[in-house]
Amino acid sequence: MDEELEGGLVEDDFIIPPVKYEYLDHTADVQLHAWGNTLKEAFEQCGMAMFAYMTEMDYVQIKEVHTIEANADDLMGLLYHFLDELLFLFSVEPFLICKKLVITEFNTEEFRIVCKCYGEEFQIGKHPQGTEVKAITYSAMQIIDQPKDNKYEVFVIIDI
Amino acid sequence: MVVRQYNEELKYLEKINPYCWKIKKGFQPNMNVEGVFYVNNTLEKLMLDELRNSCRPGMTGGFLPGVKQIANVAALPGIVGKSVGLPDVHSGYGFAIGNMAAFDTSDPTSIVSPGGVGFDINCGVRLLRTNLHEKDVQPIKEQLAQSLFDHIPVGVGSKGIIPMNARDLEEALEMGMDWSLREGYVWAEDKEHCEEYGRMLNADPSKVSLRAKKRGLPQLGTLGAGNHYAEIQVVDEIYDKFAAGKMGLERLGQVVVMIHSGSRGFGHQVATDALVQMEKAMKRDQIAVNDRQLACARINSVEGQNYLKSMAAAANFAWVNRSSMTFLTRQAFGKQFKMAPDDLDMHVIYDVSHNVAKIEEHVIDGKLKTLLVHRKGSTRAFPPHHPLIPVDYQLTGQPVLIGGSMGTCSYVLTGTHQGMTETFGSTCHGAGRALSRAKSRRNLDYKEVLVKLEEMGISIRVASPKLVMEEAPESYKNVTDVVNTCHAAGISKKTVKLRPIAVIKG
Repeated sequence: MDEELEGGLVEDDFIIPPVKYEYLDHTADVQLHAWGNTLKEAFEQCGMAMFAYMTEMDYVQIKEVHTIEANADDLMGLLYHFLDELLFLFSVEPFLICKKLVITEFNTEEFRIVCKCYGEEFQIGKHPQGTEVKAITYSAMQIIDQPKDNKYEVFVIIDI
Repeated sequence: MVVRQYNEELKYLEKINPYCWKIKKGFQPNMNVEGVFYVNNTLEKLMLDELRNSCRPGMTGGFLPGVKQIANVAALPGIVGKSVGLPDVHSGYGFAIGNMAAFDTSDPTSIVSPGGVGFDINCGVRLLRTNLHEKDVQPIKEQLAQSLFDHIPVGVGSKGIIPMNARDLEEALEMGMDWSLREGYVWAEDKEHCEEYGRMLNADPSKVSLRAKKRGLPQLGTLGAGNHYAEIQVVDEIYDKFAAGKMGLERLGQVVVMIHSGSRGFGHQVATDALVQMEKAMKRDQIAVNDRQLACARINSVEGQNYLKSMAAAANFAWVNRSSMTFLTRQAFGKQFKMAPDDLDMHVIYDVSHNVAKIEEHVIDGKLKTLLVHRKGSTRAFPPHHPLIPVDYQLTGQPVLIGGSMGTCSYVLTGTHQGMTETFGSTCHGAGRALSRAKSRRNLDYKEVLVKLEEMGISIRVASPKLVMEEAPESYKNVTDVVNTCHAAGISKKTVKLRPIAVIKG
């Protein structure tokens, strides 16, 4: 279900989260490494890392918000499907390039995510073209979820 | 994965001639057949370095080296002959890139694997010739490059300009290049010079998810990003005058256009969907593999058949895609030279697929067998007189198109009888990456890369100039090493060398 809130955005929606991701070496593809104060934040950061590989974020404005849902059978599947839904949001109508992601439901028992995606339609000319992401992979995927060390990290290889 | 010291690992590898290494059984668990890979001295070093790096103790977040992946493929059910690594081999998803493997369709346990095809189904190369000479193009080279760039949508987020609705897409998926012909985008003779005549007959669009179709629709007739490109090239060297003549390449300096692209988001989604389905099928049929990424299903299972039918639809999408760009290229040339594309003799020399699985007949131990041949980053290279190659090339062998990295040369090869017996009629597909993208970004400067191309006299139009270093020649293996290895090993034969004068890319 997409809900478009043109003008319905509130001030807080324009606060840009800090960058907590990096790109690691892989021969043919790229490995996303994201982290956060919670696993939920690490997931959000991982999604933003993927979008930042497609364009330069400085050129992206928050103009609309769409909501996506992802469901899976296990935690790795959830990360995979979450990213796949985001890629789909970019690849078809509304062609959304996201600057900010806020997961509103993060259920690690039934493996379900609901996420608000803030950004605008990708426009050649306005947004510099980066690299195209073909697919998300399970290749060397790692999810580090260690509350006692306050350590939350994810590693995902995207096929480009 | 078996963890051993590097010198222990080397005991399983044996150099059987200057261009070929054998991977013995036991290198990875459960190998049904041996592995083999083709390298010269330079490429051998890259291959073994990759293995040595993976043997370091305490490695985390790493990935399997290509040589291990070739061995894991040799452990898949139903594999026959050998698991083959071509000279441009490097680590990929499940299968190595530059890996081919054939499975006996009469064995009920034989499998099909989307990882053995790749995400970009029917990614391939098409070569168009012209009757122009380099000196005809030089004065208007910049305008021509710009015109090509303006005609062909390139780069991430670009949308196709060929009018297309959901119903057209269904027809295109089923008909492949027959659709392009019916709609007037290609010439009838283009089909003749295409693998499968540009249409896989077992395509079934009803097996394809709505998600894939939605991703495919806006992207039909787009080049894509990454290593995809359109290049204006000139004939630089002719090694085999007869074969080159059959392709209409008669003289040095003759201008040709090379298009390297695939099935775009459509194929990527078909592969993604199939991987999810196959995880389930593997559990049900208790198919054991060495690496979770080698998701596969029995050829005769519902999942296996559904994948082959939707893969065929994606292959058709890719042919329509390359055909649409052929149309746009002809338009751009026609406008610049104020001549009809016919009068410029802009025929398709050939169109190869280097990410695909096909049912083919091969002779094994003196018996004719029907096999499912996976080629991932590997090009079919059928010998002279093979029934599946066009009449025009019956005497030369199938043309094999090898695209180089940006700014380096490309090659046209032909298939050989030795290749037919040794590698199921398969050869390399390109340069193959040597540096990771992240490392290229760190070590190279995009401005220097662009200046260097300019100094070489190459016009460049690129959608994302700041990423151009990822595709710089330094990031790749040397395509000449790769091609020379194939030639020396006898699995294909050098025919023509091409040099770029203009590059259009994402």
